[in-house]
Amino acid sequence: MKTPLRAIITFIGPPIILLFIFMLIPIFVSLFISFTDFDVYAMYDWSNVSFIGFENYINLMKDPLFWRALLNTLYALVVAMPLTVIFSLSFAALINREGTYLKNFFKVSFYLPSITNTVAIAIVWAWMLNPDYGLINWFLSLFGIRGPNWLGDPAWAMPSVIMLVVWKAVGYNIILFTAGLQNIPDYLYEAAELDGATRFQQFLYVTIPSLRPTIFFVTVMTVIGYLQLFEEPYMLTAGGPLNSTLSIVLYLYRQGFRFFKLGYASSIAFVLFLMIFALTFIQMRARRNEV
Amino acid sequence: MKRLVGVLSIFLILVASTFGATKITVWAMGEEAKSLDKLAQLFMQEYPEYEVNVQAIPWANAYDKILTGIAGRQVPDVAQMGTTWMAPFGSMGAFEDLTPYIQKSEIVKPENFFEGAWQTGTVDGNQLGIPWYVDTRALYYRTDLLSEVGYDHAPQNWDELYDAAKKLTEKGKYGITLYQPQDNYQVLMPFVWQNGGDIVDSNGKVIVDQPEFVEAFAYYTRFFTEKLAPIGGGGNLFQDFASGDTPMFFSGPWMVTMIRDQVPQIKGKWDVALMPQKKTRTSFMGGSDLVIFRDSKNKEGAWKFIEFLSRPDIQVKWYQIVSALPSVQAAWDDPILQQDPMIKVFGEQLNDAKAPVNIPQFQEISVSMDRRVEEAIYGRKTPEQAAKDLKNDIEKILR
Repeated sequence: MKTPLRAIITFIGPPIILLFIFMLIPIFVSLFISFTDFDVYAMYDWSNVSFIGFENYINLMKDPLFWRALLNTLYALVVAMPLTVIFSLSFAALINREGTYLKNFFKVSFYLPSITNTVAIAIVWAWMLNPDYGLINWFLSLFGIRGPNWLGDPAWAMPSVIMLVVWKAVGYNIILFTAGLQNIPDYLYEAAELDGATRFQQFLYVTIPSLRPTIFFVTVMTVIGYLQLFEEPYMLTAGGPLNSTLSIVLYLYRQGFRFFKLGYASSIAFVLFLMIFALTFIQMRARRNEV
Repeated sequence: MKRLVGVLSIFLILVASTFGATKITVWAMGEEAKSLDKLAQLFMQEYPEYEVNVQAIPWANAYDKILTGIAGRQVPDVAQMGTTWMAPFGSMGAFEDLTPYIQKSEIVKPENFFEGAWQTGTVDGNQLGIPWYVDTRALYYRTDLLSEVGYDHAPQNWDELYDAAKKLTEKGKYGITLYQPQDNYQVLMPFVWQNGGDIVDSNGKVIVDQPEFVEAFAYYTRFFTEKLAPIGGGGNLFQDFASGDTPMFFSGPWMVTMIRDQVPQIKGKWDVALMPQKKTRTSFMGGSDLVIFRDSKNKEGAWKFIEFLSRPDIQVKWYQIVSALPSVQAAWDDPILQQDPMIKVFGEQLNDAKAPVNIPQFQEISVSMDRRVEEAIYGRKTPEQAAKDLKNDIEKILR
C-alpha cells in the first residue's frame, strides 16, 4: 500500500517545520556566527559583523580559562556520572524489592528534586552548605568533625556542586531503572534462587545484565547532561571561588550573554557539541562491540 | 434615538481617548514598577495629551528581556536602566543620545544632579541616560560593640577602620564584611578612589599597577589574609550584624529600613557613617537611570516624562513612595529628606560618590577583577602580582 503524499505532508510536515525553525536553523546560524566577530556592537547593527575564519577557535585554544572550564567539567563528569548511576540503580533496586513499604512515597520523594526549580534548590543548598549555620556542618559536628567552608574553599566548591547535581539527577534515573527492573521476568530470579544464588548474586548476575540497555541509556544521557553543567554552579557559586566551579557552559554564558561576544561563545558551543558527539559516538561503538 | 446618541457619544469618547492620546510605554523593574503608576497618573493629569503605560518586569528577567527586546527591536519608549547596565546596553547603540534634548531643557541640566550620578548616564562620551534615583554605599557599624573596643565614634580613616576591625576580631569573630563574590569592584573601587587611583586614566591608559591602586588593593587584601573579614560563602548579613559576628559592613540606603524591619532587637545599637577617609571619602554610586530607545516613535513624549520625573518635587514624592534617594540635588533641601538622620548621611555621601567609567568592555573588566581579587585574598598571589596580572588582563580586553 502506498501512503498518499498528502498524508505524509500533513502528519510529518508540522514537526519537520518546527524542527527546522527551532533547531536546525539556529544551529547553522550559530555555526556561521562562530566564524565571525559578532560582539556587542553587532547586536543592534549587523553591518558591524565581519568574517574572521578560525580566529575564534584559535583564540579558544589559547584561552587558559577555557581549559580550566574544560577540566572542571570533566572533573564533575568523572565523579558525578558513576555516583549517579550507582545511587539511582541501588535506590531503584531497593524500592522495587518486594518487601518495601511505601514504594510510591519513596518514588515521589526521590523524584521531587528533579521537578523543583533549581533556583529554589540552590538557595536552600547554599544554606545547608553554610560553614557556620549550615545543616551539613552541624551534622558533621555531631561526630566531632569540623566541616569545611564548602562553597568558599576552592577545593570543596566542586564537590559541593557535584553533591547537588547528583542529588538532583538521581530521582529521574530511579524512574528509568524502576521501569527497567519491572521488565525483568520473575522466572529468572526463581531459576537463580533454585540454583542457590544469594540476593546479592542475583543482583549481580541477573539484575545488572538484564538492565544493560537501561544502564547504557542512563549513562549516555547523564554524560550529555553533565557536559552541559550550568544551572547548579551558576546559582551556587557563579563559577568561583578562584574559578574552581567554572564549567564550559557557564564560561560560554559569560562570554555570550555577559560580554556579548556571541561569535566567541558560538565557537565554545561548537567545541562542546563536537565533544558530546564524540563521547556519545564512542559509547555507542563500545556497546556495539559488546553485543 | 436618545439612547443611540448616548451610546455613540460614549463610543466616540472611548475612541478619542485611545487614539487621541499619544502612548508612552515605560519598562520598569521591581518595586519601582509597581509604584510608578502613581507618578504616571500625576503626569497624565498635567499632560492629558499623553497616555503612559508602565510595564513591570521582574529584576530576575529584566536583563534577558531588554537584551531580546534590543535584538528583536521590540522596545518601549522609556526604560529604567540599572547604572551597571548602562555600559553593556548603551554600547549596543540602542539608546538615544540625549544631548540635544538636554540643551533645550529647562529642568534637566547636568549641574542639577550629583556629579557621580550624572556620570552613570555617560557611555563612551555620550549622554544616554538621565539619573532617576541613586544609591551609594556608607559604613554601617554597631555603636555598642565599637565603644567596647574604645571607639565612641565611627572609624574616620583607613587606620582607624583597620584598627577597629582588628580589635573587634580579637573580641568577637570578625571585624567587618568586605567580600562580594560577583562585581567585587563595588567594594574594592571605593578604596582605590579614596586613595586617588582608578582603573584607567583620562587618556585611556590602564593604571591598576600604579601605587595608588596597589596600596588600596593591599589594604583591602590585608583584611582577608589577617582573617578580619570572612571570605566566601558567608552567612546572613542581618543575623551576623545583630549577633555581632560582623559588626561593620558597607552597604546602600536600602539596608536602613531592612535592618529596622529584620533585626529590631538591635535598635539604637547601630548607626551609619560616611566612608573612611584616605585622601578622600569617595564611595560607590549606583541606582537607576532613565533612557529613551532609539527605535521609540514618541521621543518627545518620552523626554517630557523623563523631565517630569526629574523635577525636584516629583523626586521627593518618589522618595516618599519607594524610599529611592533623589538624584537631583535640590530635592534634598526638602524637610522630608532631612528628617531621618541616617538617610541624611547618605545624602552627604552622595557629594563624594563615583561610578566606574561606562565602556563597552566593563563587564569583562569586572569579571577579570573578581578573578584577580580572589587570587589575592585567598593568598595565592601578592596584591602586587595580582595587580600586574590585572593590568595585562585589562590591556588585553581593551585592545
